[in-house]
Amino acid sequence: MAIGVRVVRAPEANTSYFRASLQGMALTFRHLVRPHKPVLQYPDVKPELAPRWRGTHRMAVHADGRPKCVACGLCPTICPSNCIRLVPGEDDQGNRYPVVYEIDEFRCIFCGMCQEVCPVEAIHVGQDYENAEFTRERFVYDLDRLMAQDHPVTALWDPEDPLGQ
Amino acid sequence: MSTKSVEFLVRRTPELGMDGRPVQVPVLPDGMVPELHGEHMLINIGPQHPATHGVLRLVLELDGETVVKCTPHIGYLHSSFEKLGEYRTWNQVIPLTDRMDYLAPLIYNCAYAMAVEKLMGIEVTERCKVVRVICMELDRIFSHLLWVGTTAIDIGAFTVFLYTFQERERIYDLHEAFTGARITTSSTRIGGMMADLPSGWIEALRDFVDTLPKTLDETEALLTRNNLWVGRNKDIGVISGADALDWGLTGPNLRASGVAYDIRRDRPYYDYDSYDFDVVTGEQGDCYDRYLVRMEEMRQSLRILDQAIRRLPGGPINVGDPRLILPGKTDLMSDMESMIHHFKVVMEGVKAPADESWFSVESSKGELGMYVVSDGGSKPVRWRVRGPSFINLSALPKMVEGHLLSDVIAINASIDIVLGEIDR
Ligand code: SF4
Ligand code: SF4
Repeated sequence: MAIGVRVVRAPEANTSYFRASLQGMALTFRHLVRPHKPVLQYPDVKPELAPRWRGTHRMAVHADGRPKCVACGLCPTICPSNCIRLVPGEDDQGNRYPVVYEIDEFRCIFCGMCQEVCPVEAIHVGQDYENAEFTRERFVYDLDRLMAQDHPVTALWDPEDPLGQ
Repeated sequence: MSTKSVEFLVRRTPELGMDGRPVQVPVLPDGMVPELHGEHMLINIGPQHPATHGVLRLVLELDGETVVKCTPHIGYLHSSFEKLGEYRTWNQVIPLTDRMDYLAPLIYNCAYAMAVEKLMGIEVTERCKVVRVICMELDRIFSHLLWVGTTAIDIGAFTVFLYTFQERERIYDLHEAFTGARITTSSTRIGGMMADLPSGWIEALRDFVDTLPKTLDETEALLTRNNLWVGRNKDIGVISGADALDWGLTGPNLRASGVAYDIRRDRPYYDYDSYDFDVVTGEQGDCYDRYLVRMEEMRQSLRILDQAIRRLPGGPINVGDPRLILPGKTDLMSDMESMIHHFKVVMEGVKAPADESWFSVESSKGELGMYVVSDGGSKPVRWRVRGPSFINLSALPKMVEGHLLSDVIAINASIDIVLGEIDR
């Protein structure tokens, strides 16, 4: 059978205080002379984020400065934590645009589903994690603030990368 | 009798009855001094105590230093996940699952997706199966590494913690590269995964699989034959195989008692029966065997990972059913039909037939069962989780009674609980 059963047995003999302590010290000493330095001196040194990192949101912008969002209403529907507030509007050419678009980053769980469902690549989760604030109100990002973000966005659900879709 | 005198008759420290509720014990009338050695002391461990691995409160009744009775109190981390799930569509539940057992999030993601897929009668693609096996075995190691490190700290060996956490950091990096988050992975979707593996991920995983045994060897060199470790663990918290079955223990805790029960072998899913690995069992059922079993299980998981990497097939990772899976972004931009499907899936959610399904997987802590009930809509009517930690914790009083106070920490650590899943 491919799946066997292995019984692990506790060692009966050869347990000791002295030898084990010496062995342990030898091992830690080896780590001391050949150190692998995992400690990062944050905030002086910042960790390198994976390209797929899901963090603070960013709204993509057209060349003329309008948000790409067409107020389709998909992201408020899918958001598992109900943190997107959208009031749709229509301009005189019949184009839909968001009158109010707010994301409460405090409630957000950074699942990225909003970006996953957005049909026009408007809302993105981005490679940023330093979004602490002093008041709760500041956590609600309005449209201007979302558009002003300038961190790179996640590589997930990027039309250029077939693996990420 | 006036109220005041009743108060005098009641002891200050609450005693707990069989049902866990405080009972009022009258003090002896004046003049009668109880014998000192008969006096039991009640103490609290936790809820905010690092050795409780979360927010668990243990009320211990001590006779001297010996535990007479132990009552675990849970609920400090209650987040109502199951109820929240009833207000989320099938896919929206997935972010809730990885917050339960934050030590092995991918296993929970996969188990939930499997239960729903069974309900809907979906067969996932071959590639998805192997990717999920990789995810689950990786997180088994993830969870066991944490267990070894923190248990060693509880018992007083600090160095092991540093070494195992360095390895965990590499698994965090793998999570991050694959799913974009370190713990809250939310990686599955009904019918597949959120995304395919990024390029270079398998090579990074291969590197991890090749180098982890060195750390495991170092850990064993520090602990296995160390008399301090053996002395703190051997013959502590013994539970026999029959008792373990009676208490419903599963996972490494049950196997350490000598019962070879592993869902991967006994009710195989995802072709686990075609992998070569051993079900690891112990003999004594004490803390030491639980340690040995977990160490060996990591090596077996590495074996499975090694085979899975080799057999990882190409092809799509998601099922090709537009009613389930959102179309790729490229299709979405160019194809009207995809766009319509996309809106339909998001707005209405995925529909499941009116039925119920149960699916259990072998998580790092034991048998993890997911039970979902559907009324034909896009949300679960009931979502129930059979959490292994919750049931393993229920056997804690049985294990600690009769042991010394300092052994409570060792035993509590050895059963490997995670409070996020216990309190749900
Ligand atoms: S990342 Fe998730 S929780 Fe946050 S706004 Fe988007 S959908 Fe909502
Ligand atoms: S899904 Fe995209 S286009 Fe639709 S409302 Fe959200 S951000 Fe706007």
